[in-house]
Amino acid sequence: MANTAVQVDNNKKWGGGSRPMDASYGKLMMWYFLLSDAFTFGALLITYATLRISAGWTDGWTNANDAFKAFPGVEGVPILESLNGTPLAFVTLMTFILILSSVFVVRAVQEGHRMNQKGVAFWMFLGILGGIAFLACQGAEWYGLIVHEGLSMTYNPFDPATGLKNAVFENGHIVKEATSPGPKAFGNLFFLITGFHGTHVLSGIIFNIIILVQTLKGTYQQRGHYEMVEKVGLYWHFVDLVWVFVFLVFYLL
Amino acid sequence: MAHHLTDEEYKSQKSAVWRATFILSVATIVEITLALLHYHEWGPFEGMSKSIISSLMIILSLLKAFFIVGEFMHVKYEVRALALTILVPLIFLIYGVIMFMWEGSMWKWLRDIWPSA
Repeated sequence: MANTAVQVDNNKKWGGGSRPMDASYGKLMMWYFLLSDAFTFGALLITYATLRISAGWTDGWTNANDAFKAFPGVEGVPILESLNGTPLAFVTLMTFILILSSVFVVRAVQEGHRMNQKGVAFWMFLGILGGIAFLACQGAEWYGLIVHEGLSMTYNPFDPATGLKNAVFENGHIVKEATSPGPKAFGNLFFLITGFHGTHVLSGIIFNIIILVQTLKGTYQQRGHYEMVEKVGLYWHFVDLVWVFVFLVFYLL
Repeated sequence: MAHHLTDEEYKSQKSAVWRATFILSVATIVEITLALLHYHEWGPFEGMSKSIISSLMIILSLLKAFFIVGEFMHVKYEVRALALTILVPLIFLIYGVIMFMWEGSMWKWLRDIWPSA
């Protein structure tokens, strides 16, 4: 009697035709895709850490504080000028841009719960701007490293022992090779991982733009829910989450 | 299908998000400060082993991850079964990190005992 009642309830919940975890198919599938993507990024970061440990965590590896000192765009600006040469300053700015962009998308989702079309569009637009700003910063950082410093996927001019770049790099060529170049894996994995992340940012921006257009067209207002904003928002937050760990592993540790 | 919120729910949700944002910003600033203080060997950080700083940074990043996943991605408010299907598999990732750190230190040991040709 009591048993059959429980069985009936279980069948109702897990027997099909309902949503036991109170999430739509699309939302669940986005979550499980993100889980798989987490393993992919995890594998890349684990590769970096393992190689770095095998080389001697600090002694045999390039110091991030020496390699990531540049702050593009502040030459000549009175107070901000000193940021150029401050280690990790530029990447901190990038982190804040991405965190804020994530927050804007959360606000868009919240406005979606209130069926506020204008609110969703407003906050999604800000989120997109944040994403574009982040990508622009990432591009500027890559440009500085590739063109000015000479870091590439096969050559690392940053000497682990002194932190100095003792190679001479002019007009896009190494004119004088470093006497003791750093481990190739540093540059290789840096561009691979930040590039893979940057591709996710780019695709996230494109998805966000598509969703913004659909919002402005009134598609979701007609549909009666803004769940699409939520699903794409999950992807965007995942991009932010990955950046937290890329930032930690590459720049902080 | 849409969850229509009351005004109080909406206000509390908004403030929860801004609170999480504040915590994330503070955590980031602390991480950067620790990194720079250690790099410049300022005051009590002179000669301090990087391991303590690194452990603090890892803890702060996990805190950030907790807020991003819990608040921004809404996992704190989801049905427990859903949250578990997402979070429990990450144990394999933790396992991977530990195993490969061990592997890396073994490679280092091998490099140290075998001189290069």
